[in-house]
Amino acid sequence: MKILVAVKQVAALDEDFQIRADGRDVDPDFLIRDLNEWDDYSLEEAVKIKEAASNPVEVIAVSVGPVHVDESLRKCLAKGADRAIRVWDDCIEGSDPIAIARVVAAVAKREAPDMLFAGVQSSDQSFASTGIATAAFLEWPHAAVVSMLSYAPGAKTAVLRRELEGGLLQEVELQCPAVLTIQLGINTPRYASLRSIKQAAAKPIEILTLADLQLSAADVGEAGSLSRVRRMYLPDKGQAQLIEGDVAAQAKRLAEIIKEFKGQSP
Amino acid sequence: MIVDHTAVTRILFETFSAAEVRLFYGLGFVASAIFCWGVFVQIRKYRRGAALALDGSLWARLLAMFTVVLSHRSIDRRDAAAGVAHRLIFYGFTLLFIGTATITLEYDILEPLFGIRFWHGEFYLVFSLVLDVAGVALIAGLLYMMIRRGWMRLPKLDYARPDRSPGDADFDRPQYRREDWAFLWTLLIIGGTGYVLEAARLVWLQDRAVVWDTRWYSPVGALLAEGFRSAGLDAYGGGLLRHGLWWFHGLIALIFIALIPFTKVKHMFTAGGSWLARDPLAAQRLTRVPESASQVGVAKITDFTWKQLLNLDACTKCGRCHEACPATAVGAPLSPRDVILSLREFANATLESGVLPDAAVLGVHGKGPGQVAMETLWSCRTCMACVEICPVAVEHVPIIVQMRRKLVEEGAMDPLLTKTLQTIHKTGNSFGESKRKRGAWSKALPFPVKDARKEAVDVLWFVGDYASFDPRNQKVTQTFATLLHEAGVDFGILYDGESNAGNDVRRVGEEGLYEVLANANVSALASAQFKTVVTTDPHSFNTIKNEYPDFGGKYEIQHYTTLARQLFAAGKLRVTHPLKYRVTFHDPCHLGRFNKGYDAPRELLALLGCELVEMGRSRANSFCCGAGGGRIWIPDPVGSEKPAQNRMKEAAVIPGLEVYVVSCPKDLTMFEDALKTTGNEGNFVVRELIELIREAIPLQRAEEVTA
Repeated sequence: MKILVAVKQVAALDEDFQIRADGRDVDPDFLIRDLNEWDDYSLEEAVKIKEAASNPVEVIAVSVGPVHVDESLRKCLAKGADRAIRVWDDCIEGSDPIAIARVVAAVAKREAPDMLFAGVQSSDQSFASTGIATAAFLEWPHAAVVSMLSYAPGAKTAVLRRELEGGLLQEVELQCPAVLTIQLGINTPRYASLRSIKQAAAKPIEILTLADLQLSAADVGEAGSLSRVRRMYLPDKGQAQLIEGDVAAQAKRLAEIIKEFKGQSP
Repeated sequence: MIVDHTAVTRILFETFSAAEVRLFYGLGFVASAIFCWGVFVQIRKYRRGAALALDGSLWARLLAMFTVVLSHRSIDRRDAAAGVAHRLIFYGFTLLFIGTATITLEYDILEPLFGIRFWHGEFYLVFSLVLDVAGVALIAGLLYMMIRRGWMRLPKLDYARPDRSPGDADFDRPQYRREDWAFLWTLLIIGGTGYVLEAARLVWLQDRAVVWDTRWYSPVGALLAEGFRSAGLDAYGGGLLRHGLWWFHGLIALIFIALIPFTKVKHMFTAGGSWLARDPLAAQRLTRVPESASQVGVAKITDFTWKQLLNLDACTKCGRCHEACPATAVGAPLSPRDVILSLREFANATLESGVLPDAAVLGVHGKGPGQVAMETLWSCRTCMACVEICPVAVEHVPIIVQMRRKLVEEGAMDPLLTKTLQTIHKTGNSFGESKRKRGAWSKALPFPVKDARKEAVDVLWFVGDYASFDPRNQKVTQTFATLLHEAGVDFGILYDGESNAGNDVRRVGEEGLYEVLANANVSALASAQFKTVVTTDPHSFNTIKNEYPDFGGKYEIQHYTTLARQLFAAGKLRVTHPLKYRVTFHDPCHLGRFNKGYDAPRELLALLGCELVEMGRSRANSFCCGAGGGRIWIPDPVGSEKPAQNRMKEAAVIPGLEVYVVSCPKDLTMFEDALKTTGNEGNFVVRELIELIREAIPLQRAEEVTA
């Protein structure tokens, strides 16, 4: 029995950050990295299933990213994952969620799990598409925004609840193996003590390359993506100004401002 | 005149048949055997705990132990009457014991083996007088203790538990009350029958000059004998009474001896042992978890060290910790006394039998009998009030923190605390702020604050989390920087090289995170050049001073109060506008109790011209603000009183109080909040001592206005 949990190391902005020279991302010096919050919940869900099962269940955390992602995978190992896999190749840089999903699906084919969990979305990019796209590559059934799950390892179907608009809940039964994207609040993720994280350092993280997954450079990076980021920027802040004085003075000032704006535009 | 000196001695077995004497010796051996077995069982129990090597010389430890035991210094504190009464019992009992041992020494050892006799004549008479006085002391002490238990109804002697509800089997533990009374009555009966026995013997032998003529060397016995005689008791009746009472007195004494290891009486040994094994820095410097340890913290009773198991048995239920504990005071489900007693009951139930039970039944966490609930453990603020006042050197705080280490490992804690620990791991501070912003408070100053990693300084200022990031405390931090600058102190800070000092993280029980923080700070400090360290934060002060040495960081560090005192003494700071405030001072736990920094803040207040009115609980008995042990990150239950509010009410009764002075960033936060929530806003203000110094030394240059 296997549950594969796709996780991502997300980036949060530090104070006074700067945009990278090419204008397409934040300068990595100003990023604080951590495990994506949603993935905390999907991993916990997998570990809970493992702990409640009578037969042995293996929980495998998989992530796509460079060496600093190991830190987050170690956290997964500390919280109860049995193994961790990290896929990286320099040409993966610049991949969109579809290309990443292609890689995750290749790992799923290699591992043949009974279930694949992912977070609903990542807190830094908010595409909310990697999990679902993986299901498409695998041609597995999927359910998004799962807020309750009833699944016994090895069962042919799983019953789950999804949160819809207006407070509606949808109860779904689906065929396994399946891809589920897990919503916050489905459980209470456990605390990984620093000691357990340190001990997890002893567990090996398997590093896979594209070749290991029978993928080529054309499958990933900008070549394998359906979208690319053009630029990332902070919009100019809107300004408000209260014009004082009597009506005539106000009208005069307003006319000046309009002229100023006109004068600026090319 | 007495001619034959050897005839002046205690009558022992006269008129007893040989069979009776044999019976008595037989019973004596049985009692001794039971005693020895009990001692063996107890020692076996302690040895089932984890190993621990005591540091320092045994002689120094013995000297310290005897100093405390003989002086009764620790029993006197906060209950002088109990100290006097216990002294009377202790010295009375000890003298009577030495007296009996002396008889045995001559009668059973020296005389039969070597023919040496010394216990007669003048020596015997003085001996007799001393023992009579000792008996009076013993009985007087016991009577006071009975009055104390029976009529004075001291709250600290009420065994009702804050972590149980009325109706629970172990709610107020009546077996302890029965044992207390049995102990007092047994000693009283032994002492009382001793006198009656003595009087009966005098009446019986009133015609024997060597006995009767020297009777006033046993004044109490002689007085009683006069009474018996005037009540009509004759020599024959006296003889009968003496014979019967002799057996009664002897049997009770033998039973008492046999039961010592099985009852509270064993505190005669365990209290001394506890002092012998005492760690004077038990709460200030927590123990490291060895790299090789297979688990963290205490899960099973056998995970405690033998010394901690001995601590459990030393407790005499005096209730001083119960009275001093801020958690108990505000109705939290914790009393340090009950933690100790629960674990003791657990140890007695599991570790006294011949075979050690399975690990499955040795778990000390939970709500069962003798177990400690997580709510109880998380109520502790590690303020050290319990450890500090314990007359028998029980070290509660390490016991609680080691149990918490296990809870942290399991993630059994408040979600907000989990979040804070994750934040500290991620950002190095509890505010979740960027590392880069740590030194941002210095930007508002009109002078640059040196980066001690880039240029050498005399004084390295370890700022700490609250003083760095909390907006209210930042003002104090800026004021202190200005004072240092004006006093010409060459100082610098570590900027983003500094992390949370870890004092409270360690006391939460997250030892792994503490190691990360301590190592990070030790290596940041190693990258800087400085002579001494100063901090305004007593929490950082404690861990850097007492715990960083275990991580290879040894520094000369002082709290700002002593540095300021030096600057005043050297004339670098001068009071120009004396303050006439009526103030009270709150001793921060980590400055006062933890590190004995009681005097410097008070001397500074005197220098500033303030009139200091002490609160009832001050110095060693200072009452925790409630922020310690990581509790600042755990919300207090809604509707219950907070320790800081309890403290504000205490300060509010001081007539004409103007300023409540603190010298700790967390205190400022806790008490400014409590000032408002107790409705005392407007009555008096809460101020950092640094702010009062500033007020007494108005700015030397007008442009140096802190933000």
